[in-house]
Amino acid sequence: MAVDPGVGVSRRGFHEDIAAIVIGVALVAMALAIGWNARPADDAGNRKTFPKGWPTPLAATIDKPQTWSDAPQKALVIVDKKDPTKVKPVTIPILLGMAWVVGILAAGTRLRGQSPAAVLPGAVVLALLGGLAYLMAAQKVINYYNLEYPLWALLVGLVIGNTVGVPKWLEPALQGEFLIKAGLVVFGAEVLFSRLLELGLPGLLTSWVVTPIVLVGTYLLGVNWMKIPSKSLCMVISADMSVCGVSAAIATGAACRAKKEELSLAIGLSLLFTVVMMVVMPPFIRWAGIDPIVGGAWLGGTIDATGAVVAAGEMLGRELDDKRPAEVAATVKMIQNSMIGIIAFAVAVYWAGWVDRGATGPKTSLAAEAWRRFPKFILGFLGTSIVCSWLYTTSPELSLLVDGAIGGFTSRLRGWLFCVGFVCMGLQTNFRELAPTLASGRPLVLYCVGQALNLALSLAMASLTFGWLFKQGVTP
Amino acid sequence: MTSPAAIPIPPVLRLAAATAVGAVFWLVFLPWIGRQPAVDRHVQLMESHDVNPAAMVYTELEHLPLRPAWIERYLVLWPTGN
Repeated sequence: MAVDPGVGVSRRGFHEDIAAIVIGVALVAMALAIGWNARPADDAGNRKTFPKGWPTPLAATIDKPQTWSDAPQKALVIVDKKDPTKVKPVTIPILLGMAWVVGILAAGTRLRGQSPAAVLPGAVVLALLGGLAYLMAAQKVINYYNLEYPLWALLVGLVIGNTVGVPKWLEPALQGEFLIKAGLVVFGAEVLFSRLLELGLPGLLTSWVVTPIVLVGTYLLGVNWMKIPSKSLCMVISADMSVCGVSAAIATGAACRAKKEELSLAIGLSLLFTVVMMVVMPPFIRWAGIDPIVGGAWLGGTIDATGAVVAAGEMLGRELDDKRPAEVAATVKMIQNSMIGIIAFAVAVYWAGWVDRGATGPKTSLAAEAWRRFPKFILGFLGTSIVCSWLYTTSPELSLLVDGAIGGFTSRLRGWLFCVGFVCMGLQTNFRELAPTLASGRPLVLYCVGQALNLALSLAMASLTFGWLFKQGVTP
Repeated sequence: MTSPAAIPIPPVLRLAAATAVGAVFWLVFLPWIGRQPAVDRHVQLMESHDVNPAAMVYTELEHLPLRPAWIERYLVLWPTGN
């Protein structure tokens, strides 16, 4: 993700960060405006009527392949769960999803002062490869064991890059960093600070006390004790392990300008351990006789990926016929999701002010140098997050507007931007650069030691809060 | 003893080979894995509970984990001024 520091309007166009902010903010604003314009006439503030927020017309313009087991063509239809004879084709919304990515790439190129025509052929091919990655991720075994689409997007790119290589005509469209930055600005709309209080004090203690300790502890362990040469690799591994997996790795990786190879490695580690923990932890909790609520909070605080947390919570609650473990697990993880913006901002400030400056920067004033090196797109990410959080808390109607815009459009668009961004990164990834670090096994050891610390501290805090301090409150 | 010189494989052939391996993995091996009882049980459980384990963040979950009702009833931890 390494980019030149500095920002503003160059001789020919905007800096990549500014282009990402302009496009990301415009897309979120458009989603909110269209959602408001199409607001329901009756019962607009009732969450029971609109459990997923107001339906938005933009939902018809974007979707992704659906899950399939043995026939990939089934990915192109949504089958009604109550009546399997009813199917709704999604081929057009999938193609339109690809068209959004092509349009955003062209607009970003134009904002940066270059000709959009030069990127169009490559952008179309990249969007199709993103669709292939989504199709691979939608296979049921892959999907229900949490092997998320970034892994397959990277694989698609790696296979092509390491067999036939990248043709010259594709190179102008290889703007993975821009797509991920624009995706992060759009993603800001989903990071709602107001959700931090959903589970009250015990949830906050489990997330807010343990997560920063594990994040900083693991980072310092990697840098100072294990002497891993790349600080950004240590940070990305620490963030994806302690916060919430791939999404945290993407946000912090962009904030500390981690290399593509480092981000790929961190995501691979995270997904591998997520599958193992999702399967192993629920039976272990039952075997060890841990209270189901405490167990749910422990799952939420330790398993990296959000979906895997809910899956593990369901597995834990299945034999107990109890929904609470899944609810507590999901809510603790949701609180961690809501921390991504703050953590990415803190990492960006630390990197700009101390790590980058200490390594190469001139000894000018800290504030000036930090600002010069600060990845400005993080401000767009925080901006969309703050605005949507504020709207969410303003009134029941606006909270439904935000939920509808997120669920119907921005989260799907963010997925496509990340997916195609990872295809680009796979095409450009050179794992030979990481070979010495990989051969030493130190990233794997760092992940394991950090996760062990995370498991111990999360269990201690979950037992303290849900199992002791507030036990009376969580026992019906 | 000298090792035989490596015969370079044309790039297109390497891509075709990788694609073939991928096709067999996704179209033959994964469906077979999916039919194994333990895996099938896991998939059925997830589908029946509308759980999307591949959700990257909570907004991709089928059901938003809103503050659960039992917490509203039993948990008075965050001062509301009442």
